[in-house]
Amino acid sequence: MLKINDIHKSFGNNEILKGVDLSIDKGDVVVILGPSGSGKTTLLRCINFLEKADSGQAGFGDLKVNLHGASKRDIHTIRQKTAFVFQNYNLFNNKTALENVTEGLIVGRRVPKADAIGIGKKALDKVGLSDKYDSYPSQLSGGQQQRVGIARAVALNPDIILFDEPTSALDPELVGEVLTVMKNIAKEGTTMLVVTHEMSFAKDVANRVIFMDGGVVVEEGSPHDIFVSPKEERTKKFLKRVLPEDYTFYI
Amino acid sequence: MSEGLNYTFLIDTFFIALSGVPITLLVTIVALLIALPLGFLLALTRINQVPVLNWFSRIYVSFVRGTPIIIQIFIVYASVPLILSLFFEKYNININVYNINPIWYAFIVFSFSTTAILIEVFRSALSTVNKGQLEAAQSVGLSNFQAYRRIVIPQALVVALPNICTATVNLIKATSLGYAMSLQEITLKAKVAANVGYNYVEAYIDIFLVYIILCSLVEYGFKIYEKRLRRYKYVSA
Ligand SMILES: Nc1ncnc2c1ncn2[C@@H]1O[C@H](COP(=O)(O)OP(=O)(O)OP(=O)(O)O)[C@@H](O)[C@H]1O
Ligand SMILES: [Mg+2]
Repeated sequence: MLKINDIHKSFGNNEILKGVDLSIDKGDVVVILGPSGSGKTTLLRCINFLEKADSGQAGFGDLKVNLHGASKRDIHTIRQKTAFVFQNYNLFNNKTALENVTEGLIVGRRVPKADAIGIGKKALDKVGLSDKYDSYPSQLSGGQQQRVGIARAVALNPDIILFDEPTSALDPELVGEVLTVMKNIAKEGTTMLVVTHEMSFAKDVANRVIFMDGGVVVEEGSPHDIFVSPKEERTKKFLKRVLPEDYTFYI
Repeated sequence: MSEGLNYTFLIDTFFIALSGVPITLLVTIVALLIALPLGFLLALTRINQVPVLNWFSRIYVSFVRGTPIIIQIFIVYASVPLILSLFFEKYNININVYNINPIWYAFIVFSFSTTAILIEVFRSALSTVNKGQLEAAQSVGLSNFQAYRRIVIPQALVVALPNICTATVNLIKATSLGYAMSLQEITLKAKVAANVGYNYVEAYIDIFLVYIILCSLVEYGFKIYEKRLRRYKYVSA
């Protein structure tokens, strides 16, 4: 459903993405792992045109676009098919939780206001925030804000939701509530591409794990492949560092 | 010289000074109507580093801020008629440039100087809005224009409003320099009235009072508006 081909991106002389390919099917939950600076965020941002790639193609079903020279219209179309959940939430500070969720529907997609409010409330209910419709982001905890962020993405009913380390800005005790919400929407069949350091999420929810390092995909496979029998030396090293000593993988 | 204050004159002149308020307000409003959008657009060119325009706004700001308004008035008041008369002569247009109402010069000078101030006000206000706000708006499918209008500008405006208020009050006060080009505003009207019987102290008190009332009302108006815009920040403290 989403195919990325040979994406390159440099900042100045610093080549961050050195030809990444990616292929995601409907209903996939793909987790990207990798050390800091390996280009995971940059990859997601290029897919959503928040960053302009130097070269590369994206295919969305029948739609093929050049990631470097896409027209405004193509960019708009792709953004209609994707949603982004940001590391630091990026909720609209001047809008209530409900308005945050309906903004993209009403203004971006011209959904009638009454319908949008219905969809928005349902999305907020789904993430457990039925009592926070009218709260502003400044009145919500980090975990609640990120759940609004997820509701905002879900409400758009996109083909795929891109998550960039959705829990890494949260206090440890708030991580669980966000992961639970993510697990729930994964169960409903939402296609997700998730950058995370939460190994438990990768292990329990993902059906495919990609390990990136130095701007390339080093290895990919099922969670079992990657966690139990990684082939590449770099993958092994990375896992050794991020997994607890006595970590064992059950399946 | 009379002994003590001439109260009748004080009261009469108060109303004369007051009759200059419409001109003062007209100049203020026209200057703001030009400077607000222009200052905002030029601030955007600075934030987004638009080539050429970005440089232009920078030089413009340092030029206007580095010179006293009274000098800007002298320059415009002296040079614009010269340029216009050359222009009119060349194209055989029969207008006497020295009959032009000084209010046009006031519009020019005060729009110029206020634009420069507002460029800086908007630039700093826009830079307080996290880039993530714009990106989130784009990611949910808003165009750049929609993102600015609905998400970025409302947040920047809350930050900018106290400074816009200051700029407006400064502008009102600065229009008193309009007397240098015979603009019929508060200061000039009261001073002219004072010329007759040398009642300058009374006239200055009146001028003082009129500006204080005017500026307080404007500040009060801004406060109310700010409160409305700040709703979403109520509990953030
Ligand atoms: N706008 C930018 N300008 C210059 N360099 C950038 C920019 N954005 C990212 N980089 C650089 O690109 C590299 C990869 O960044 P990226 O954020 O994609 O890594 P990441 O894999 O997401 O890392 P992390 O796990 O820390 O989030 C980093 O070295 C970063 O400094
Ligand atoms: Mg990152």
